[in-house]
Amino acid sequence: MNHTMRKLLSGNEAIFQGAIRAGARYFAGYPISPTSEILQQAALHAEEDPTFRFLQGEDEIACAIATISASLAGVKAFTATSGPGFSLMQEAIGWGHVVEAPCVFVNSMRVGPSTGMPTQPAQADLFQVQGGSAGDYYPIAFYPHSVEECFRLTVTAFNAAEESLSPVVLLADAFLSHLYELVDLEAIEVEVVPRTKEPLGRGKRLFTGTAHDKLGNVKTNDPDIYRAWISEIKGRHHEVAEKYPLYEYLPREDSDTLLIAFGMLSRIVSPLKRRFPFFRPIRILPLLAKELREVTKSYRRILVVEGSDGQYGSWVQGAIGREVISIPCLGGGFRLRWIEKELQKRLEESP
Amino acid sequence: MIDRSYKDLLKMRRFPHTWCPGCGIGAVLKNVAMVLRELGWGSENTVAVSGIGCSGRMSGYMNLDAVHTPHGRALTAAEAIRRVREDLHVIVLSGDGDLASIGGNHLLHTARRNPDITVICNDNEIYGLTGGQAGPTTPKGTKTLTSPRGEPFPPLRLGRILTEQAPYFYARTTVYHRQHLQQCIREALLWKGFSFVDVLSDCIELNGRRLGFRTAFQMLRWFDERFRIVRGIREHLEEDELGIAQAKETAPTKKVPEEKYEPPLPSVEALRFISHEELERFDGREGSPLWIAYKGLVYDVSKSPLFQGEKRMRCHIAGKDLTHEIDAAPHGEDLLFSFPVVGRLV
Repeated sequence: MNHTMRKLLSGNEAIFQGAIRAGARYFAGYPISPTSEILQQAALHAEEDPTFRFLQGEDEIACAIATISASLAGVKAFTATSGPGFSLMQEAIGWGHVVEAPCVFVNSMRVGPSTGMPTQPAQADLFQVQGGSAGDYYPIAFYPHSVEECFRLTVTAFNAAEESLSPVVLLADAFLSHLYELVDLEAIEVEVVPRTKEPLGRGKRLFTGTAHDKLGNVKTNDPDIYRAWISEIKGRHHEVAEKYPLYEYLPREDSDTLLIAFGMLSRIVSPLKRRFPFFRPIRILPLLAKELREVTKSYRRILVVEGSDGQYGSWVQGAIGREVISIPCLGGGFRLRWIEKELQKRLEESP
Repeated sequence: MIDRSYKDLLKMRRFPHTWCPGCGIGAVLKNVAMVLRELGWGSENTVAVSGIGCSGRMSGYMNLDAVHTPHGRALTAAEAIRRVREDLHVIVLSGDGDLASIGGNHLLHTARRNPDITVICNDNEIYGLTGGQAGPTTPKGTKTLTSPRGEPFPPLRLGRILTEQAPYFYARTTVYHRQHLQQCIREALLWKGFSFVDVLSDCIELNGRRLGFRTAFQMLRWFDERFRIVRGIREHLEEDELGIAQAKETAPTKKVPEEKYEPPLPSVEALRFISHEELERFDGREGSPLWIAYKGLVYDVSKSPLFQGEKRMRCHIAGKDLTHEIDAAPHGEDLLFSFPVVGRLV
């Protein structure tokens, strides 16, 4: 391997480079730790490349709306924020699902609620990603665990967005955003799905957040039209998600306890892989229910180590229909020693 | 024959529209369509963007690609579309509650960034679609569903806010003054940069009736009474004036401070020689200047407020070399440096 091409890059930088590789031509953002570096890079990139536009909006509401609008106008667009900003973006995300705008929202999670602990890592925005906006919608979300994967999954997120015609979420955490690793982005080969949605100025369509029929006519009192529309959206999103059944599974036969972790925590607990079989979901949403059911079949106990108070664990529990032991690493405490101690305690509690 | 070709720009198959009989929004929509037709703009180069509310429904009736955003976000969406697609004309058709209240922050910042978009604001001074609650432009004292004793707060004066910082284009007109309305829309569409047309419009059903009007026509006549048209381009509009206020981008407003002329300091070599005998003659006697010497230079201290009569500078005697005295004095040498140097002591 040619080591000279490798560069020291942070997760944030890899995400930005991934977006550029995927063909992104618009970025809107508002400064927030830990994703401000993505905004800064966008500003620099706009100087170099006149076809790339960027907006530092007055707030995250504007940035999210601008991202979706730029996507409707005909370019690949993305935005990046953290939990508090993601809360402000929820309105636009719901709108993006209804007007079917392919774009990418990066949410690098930090400890919440509210301002929380800037900037300690967390994984507690999963519920927010799943359903923070009003009504039913079916988001797709990926969560990398290394700088290289940040790059790859950003491209994957853009591809899934183009295929599902929806805002796709790329999750990260404060730890991963600021993690520096040696990577050679040039050597990474990725497949890029081109834009197929017709841009604005080509017809007489109405892109509305109000319920509408196929022609874009507003229909606010017809349950049949609504049901047909939402089942189409649901079907399409799940179909696209099926194309990306991303996970990592390391079976072991000497233990009856399966360890589940994802994102940065999956790296931190990696010494435990010598003791326990290990499952790392990469596609967080829609939940890898089929895969989880299959994998957990052969284990008696399921342990989920995560940076929230059991958000992913509760989904796993719902999918496999039996109890899951959750080890919540709260307050940014992603530390192996603490996790090992807590894990021992839990295992003794439920022999 | 009347030219009705503007109807190509409206989705006639979706008519009758959703608005109440007598509502002013229809007049705004029709006049926008007429001006677009006149300018030859159509679905291939124009996009309409709306927010939420009665007025937000306007974009859906335009026979163009239209974007119907969440409440208050029309300006942000329009700006982003215009930013990535400079080949498109982007017009925002929305209401005062949408643009000035929930979208108020976006209004300030979009106007500041000055994208080339045109905003047609249907300003009916009320939240109509939700039943008639007080809005950001509701005049003080108006009774509404949420201000049963009369709106307690003064309205937001868009005309003032939007004409604060050049470049700007702000026009105020009403649905009653049809010719003027068309003129304002035309000028706004042709303006390079952010242009805002504040169209005073009537909401007879959910505002007018409570105010005591029995018909929409009475309400339109009320606009005629309230406002007068001013011709020509203004810098600002008074609250009762209809017209166009605009200003082009001015030269950098930051004032460069004028450089104060300071004559170059005379070089020490250029100073004339002064002997001890000559110095002694300038001790203030008989109105002569008061000179003292310090570290080899002779200073003229006649202007000093510390001069206390003949020969004396408080503790010091003029006409002498005072190097030792000043070094020993509590005030130090800085005191001397503001006085002109007249020569070198030899």
